[in-house]
Amino acid sequence: MSMLLEVNGVSVTFDGFRAINNLSINFAPTELRAIIGPNGAGKTTFMDIVTGKTKPDEGTVIWGERNISLLGMSESQIAREGIGRKFQKPTVFEAQTVRQNLAMALKTPRGPFSVLMHKKTKANGARIEAVAEQIGLADSLTRSAGELSHGQKQWLEIGMLLAQEPRLMLVDEPAAGMTPEEREKTTDILREAAKTRAVVVVEHDMEFVRRLNCKVTVLHEGSVLAEGSLDHVTSDQTVIDVYLGRSHA
Amino acid sequence: MRKTFLSQNPSVLIFIALLAVFTIVVTLLSEVTGVGLISTSFVKTLGKTLCLSLVAIAMDVVWGYCGILSLGHFAFFGIGGYAIGMWLMYARTEGIVMTSLASQPLPPTPAEISDAIGNQIFGVVGSSEFPLIWAFADNLFVQLLMVVLVPGLLALVFGWLAFRSRVTGVYLSILTQAMTLALALYLFQNDSGLRGNNGLSGLQNIPGFEETSQAKVSIAFFIASAFALGAAYIGFAWIVSGKMGSIVQGIRDNEARVRFLGYHVESYKLFIFTTTAVAAGIAGALYYPQAGIINPGEVAPIASIYLAVWVAIGGRGRLYGAVIGAVFVSLLSSWFTGGGAPNVNLGFYTIQWTDWWLVLLGMSFVAVTLYFPKGIGGLFDYLVRKPS
Repeated sequence: MSMLLEVNGVSVTFDGFRAINNLSINFAPTELRAIIGPNGAGKTTFMDIVTGKTKPDEGTVIWGERNISLLGMSESQIAREGIGRKFQKPTVFEAQTVRQNLAMALKTPRGPFSVLMHKKTKANGARIEAVAEQIGLADSLTRSAGELSHGQKQWLEIGMLLAQEPRLMLVDEPAAGMTPEEREKTTDILREAAKTRAVVVVEHDMEFVRRLNCKVTVLHEGSVLAEGSLDHVTSDQTVIDVYLGRSHA
Repeated sequence: MRKTFLSQNPSVLIFIALLAVFTIVVTLLSEVTGVGLISTSFVKTLGKTLCLSLVAIAMDVVWGYCGILSLGHFAFFGIGGYAIGMWLMYARTEGIVMTSLASQPLPPTPAEISDAIGNQIFGVVGSSEFPLIWAFADNLFVQLLMVVLVPGLLALVFGWLAFRSRVTGVYLSILTQAMTLALALYLFQNDSGLRGNNGLSGLQNIPGFEETSQAKVSIAFFIASAFALGAAYIGFAWIVSGKMGSIVQGIRDNEARVRFLGYHVESYKLFIFTTTAVAAGIAGALYYPQAGIINPGEVAPIASIYLAVWVAIGGRGRLYGAVIGAVFVSLLSSWFTGGGAPNVNLGFYTIQWTDWWLVLLGMSFVAVTLYFPKGIGGLFDYLVRKPS
């Protein structure tokens, strides 16, 4: 099966610190994947590279059926190619309503003049309502995003990702600060989304990763340490060493 | 679409209605109708205030909505004034020169006419040559086009360079300030071709309307300014509402997030920066014929800083706030500095408002920033707040 995203031999150094070290990782067009790893393993830097925020020193990042390189592209171009990102800290536009937030994310032409001439259509309204339904905010469309609870903001941001209709969703710690019920719901949303696209979840919380019940990639010091099911990687001796800090013992 | 735009922005209708009433009342009470309760010079002050409100709206859109604290928008205002001033000065001088040459026995050659006009205009800076930038000064249409094109192009090029390099925040403010300072310094030079620190003068005399009284001219400009302000209010309200407004405010609050949604943030900033620069140019072109004179001091950085102060005091992020700020502060300023306010004698010290006005303004700015970040316009939130 051809891959949706192929990251090959990527390295990036910040002030002499090698954040990503010869990293190679691939994602299929439809899959759910969890990326775990201790602090400083390079999880966020990996997302920064894929979304165009950070340019790697070496390596290739190849996208889609046409095998285009993402490295020369700007953040907004990459987003238009179909890569959506949710940040660790929920970043929604707090001064605007839930509907406005979703409308902004909705997959529509992104140029200033088409936006200026943008007209509200029934079809778009229905898409917004469908996404709001999915994230449990159907009753809150007119509320200001700043009034939402922490968990609801996380969902709103996931909803904005869904509205973007990306082919690859990069989700950074979606369950942070959520109650157990909220986590369960978040798991459902992500698993549902992964049926039609690739969803990559970066998470610290092992319990949450277990619920996702998917392939797991363990990052350590900027490269892949192990890959496979959660049970497989947690029984891997090197992974145990890294997580228990005995790698130099 | 139109219906939803107006129903979602009730302030637009209220503003336009108030502006219309104000314009009609001032016109009826002016010297044109013979009532004369409002003097011609005060009509000019009011007309100028409308122009300042227009540039304040532009500032509010670029700063209050898009988050770009431009400290250079008065440069665009000044350029608009210079562009129209060149035609006003040229055409009027041409008229005077033609009259005086008409008494000579031989009809003047085109070269003689050009020399005489050049002498009249550039004599003060010791020159009689027409600089290149005056090439179309005889053509009203071209100069009107310049009012829009020069500020627009300058904003486009400047903005493109700055936004492309992702210069933001205070660094961008400093750059915009450097831009207006550079323009002022350039204009101050005698060989810049715009009469150095003399500036352009006699702009209140409109060529072709020499017989028309200043009372009528001032009312004409007053009404034109009111129309421009109304049109700009509607236009910018339309831009900052709806989806464009959503994205522009999103850029203000979290630029990176908007970028990851797939919007090319730089294009949006450039669009806002350029349209507001054009609006500022138009405001300047209406302002200076009412002021009568423009000189390089007008585009000094302090003018653009005042602009930011008006918008902050009036209330950022709402268009009527900008208008309130511009009207309130600029009228108060001319009252205090024009000797309208009585000096306060404390016995040991006399507070002269011409000196102390700036201190008062500075303190109000600090107070507003610290305690009323929504400005005067924020008071309306209390009025219209629905009981919950």
